[in-house]
Amino acid sequence: MNNPEILSFDIKGIQECQQNRYPQLFVDSIVDVVPGKSARGFKNFTYNEWFFPSHFEGDPNVPGHIQIECLVQTFIMTFLCMEPYKGMKTNFVSINNAYFKRKVIPGERLEIRATLDSFKRGIAKGSAASFVGDEIACSADFLITLPDVLENFKPRKK
Amino acid sequence: MTNIEKYNKAFIESFNVGEDKLKGLKYQDIIAWDSIGHMQLMTQLEDEFEVELDIDDITDFSSYEEGKNILIKYEVNLNF
Repeated sequence: MNNPEILSFDIKGIQECQQNRYPQLFVDSIVDVVPGKSARGFKNFTYNEWFFPSHFEGDPNVPGHIQIECLVQTFIMTFLCMEPYKGMKTNFVSINNAYFKRKVIPGERLEIRATLDSFKRGIAKGSAASFVGDEIACSADFLITLPDVLENFKPRKK
Repeated sequence: MTNIEKYNKAFIESFNVGEDKLKGLKYQDIIAWDSIGHMQLMTQLEDEFEVELDIDDITDFSSYEEGKNILIKYEVNLNF
């Protein structure tokens, strides 16, 4: 049996796969990608991030919605790394079981581990969790669509 | 569980509707039967009946009744 293909992406490769761009791109590198199965991502936070001065003054930490974006931007790489999905737009359908366990502050490096449970007809289901060192930071389950793929499966008539 | 019970269960669980609402139900008649709900229904039917639906059948599957006709092509008899 052949070993599964393992892929890695730098920031240029990530932008070839997904449409998120600064200031909404929240992963620096993606490694250990098993297409259609799993991926591991990294995001380094420095005080230069645009949101730290306002969230919050005197207590800078990564907003929850950005932590969720870190998770999902790693998660979508599990399928956007594959042709013909590379570069397609994605939409949220649902975010479930989102938990925030610790603050993420300037100077910390977030590691994100994502798993794709199913991917069929433009609908991806799975989960991701982030860590600072060995400590879990946040986790969530996702249902994501690729609208350009889903469009092909909609009933033609009502 | 009979095939028609499995068929109804797929609708009930995918769309969270009562069995009494199934007759005459069409795509987009209820909020839950949108494009996402449609894919959930297709996946549940495939799992229940162990079939793989063709893309043309998925796009033709526009009502509760039409779905019954489509499943006959996959040798799923909903009469028992």
